[in-house]
Amino acid sequence: MLRILLINDTSKKVGRLRAALSEAGFEVIDESGLTIDLPARVEAVRPDVVLIDTESPSRDVMEQVVLVSRDQPRPIVMFTDEHDPDVMRQAIRSGVSAYIVEGIHAQRLQPIMDVAMARFESDQTLRAQLHARDQQLAERKRVELAKGLLMKMKDCNEDEAYTLMRRQAMSRQQKLIQVAEQIIAMSEMLN
Amino acid sequence: MSDSSTPLDALHALAWVAGSDAPEKNVLNLGFMPLSDCASVVVAATQGFAQPYGLTLNLKRQSSWAGLSDKLLCGELDAAHSLYGMVYALQLGISGAPATDMAVLMGLNQNGQSINLSQPLKDAGVTTASALNQRAHQSGSKLTFAQTFPTGTHAMWLYYWLASQGIHPLQDVNSVVVPPPQMLAHLQAGRIDGFCVGEPWGAHAIAHEQGFTVTTSQAIWPDHPEKVLASTREFVEQYPNTARALVMAVLEASRFIEESPENRRSTAQLLSASEFLDAPVSSIEPRLLGRYSDGLGSNWHDDHALRFHAHGAANFPYVSDGMWFMTQFRRWGLLREEPDYLAVAQQVQQLELYSRAAGSLEIAVPASPMRSSQLLDGSVWDGSDPAAYARSFALHALSDQ
Repeated sequence: MLRILLINDTSKKVGRLRAALSEAGFEVIDESGLTIDLPARVEAVRPDVVLIDTESPSRDVMEQVVLVSRDQPRPIVMFTDEHDPDVMRQAIRSGVSAYIVEGIHAQRLQPIMDVAMARFESDQTLRAQLHARDQQLAERKRVELAKGLLMKMKDCNEDEAYTLMRRQAMSRQQKLIQVAEQIIAMSEMLN
Repeated sequence: MSDSSTPLDALHALAWVAGSDAPEKNVLNLGFMPLSDCASVVVAATQGFAQPYGLTLNLKRQSSWAGLSDKLLCGELDAAHSLYGMVYALQLGISGAPATDMAVLMGLNQNGQSINLSQPLKDAGVTTASALNQRAHQSGSKLTFAQTFPTGTHAMWLYYWLASQGIHPLQDVNSVVVPPPQMLAHLQAGRIDGFCVGEPWGAHAIAHEQGFTVTTSQAIWPDHPEKVLASTREFVEQYPNTARALVMAVLEASRFIEESPENRRSTAQLLSASEFLDAPVSSIEPRLLGRYSDGLGSNWHDDHALRFHAHGAANFPYVSDGMWFMTQFRRWGLLREEPDYLAVAQQVQQLELYSRAAGSLEIAVPASPMRSSQLLDGSVWDGSDPAAYARSFALHALSDQ
């Protein structure tokens, strides 16, 4: 059974979704109020899905969503009355997996959750890829920098510099990037 | 993340790049066994050969060939340093797992394996093939030989050599499977009398005075096929750009290793690390440089020592190389029916993928997918009549003859 952390960010005392969710068979952990620390609650409760019920998502809510997506990503579903497409875009950018305007029926909840989970998983895969690509780029830049420094120091060409760095790395049972960092650090110290 | 304000925009840009030959998957888990011939995979992953192609290679050391093949089949490993024969056994469904379409992306090396006998055999004067033949045919307890996987290259070299010396590998001796790094322990415990394995484990046993090399695999077949970079066919079909980038990175690493003796020496040092072979450089380096001592007092420079590149000759996935392993499966009764040798090998060997990768690195691609070799018993293998070749041996275990 999916565990849902339900955030009631509306003026009503009992949110609209509680009954519908229980009726649809979800395990609901209820929270209310605008003032909660969402990342802390996600950390403590470890829900499968975060569901935010809000009349109109404020900047505060968006910021909390960004923090959750960054540090402990979860599918986040937002139910709202806000029709403004700019707000919707903002919410999706912050990391909301599904943005649902009005119309909450118990029988619609399961497919909405399914879509949110699927969307979340594909975003996670893409995020991991992007992260790996960024890291590859960063490593390449460092290796290039070190190669340039070495070419100057040893007055050698590009191929020779790569070979020297690789031989050094291999004889020390290190990765190329480690030797590149050592060259950069050494050069910074000498200059 | 480079631009945290709009990460999803960047994500979707990445997802919808059209017409690009960027890798579809950019982080790969790459399996390897602790053997000197995994060098090009380890060098590619650690020495910055994959980054320019947008690939990150995560090395995953395996403790047995059986474990490695299971992980390759279930997708936990994207590709792996693999025994040639093992890939064909997976393809044909004779390794215990259901038949799965496999792919040989490129050859990783030729040569560099050896058959070694125990110290007690040495002490008893069994130091030649003819003495071994005599000992194997004596009444009394059978000798026990270890190889590393029932359909792997080591089993095939062991069987081929024993048979060429008049010893039936399935009748005259016992055969057991032992993972390469455990050979020494099994020798020391007296559980095996001999073994066939990749280096450095032969040299390592000699260094511990636990045995001697009675023959090298290159003495059986000079420049024989050995390890390959393998994946499932599904991986190649799903991620064609990734597969090509992977082959290019490993090809460049194999070329680098052979550029100079210094590069080979530093390769030996890298391999010696605890996360790779976890063996002393003194056991790895000499044979990696072609310097052999057999543990009986003979020293020589081997003209057909372990090679990773040889201007592409060691990397080209020859169709006839793949077919040879199937002829031996037939010969030893592992394959009960005649396979369509050529069709199966043409599907498994990724000639087109390899040729594109080699072409963009200006590495020569042989004109013919077949090559001709003469093995130590005088038989010639050129891939032209595999069914007849499989039936041409005096010693065999063909189930239907």
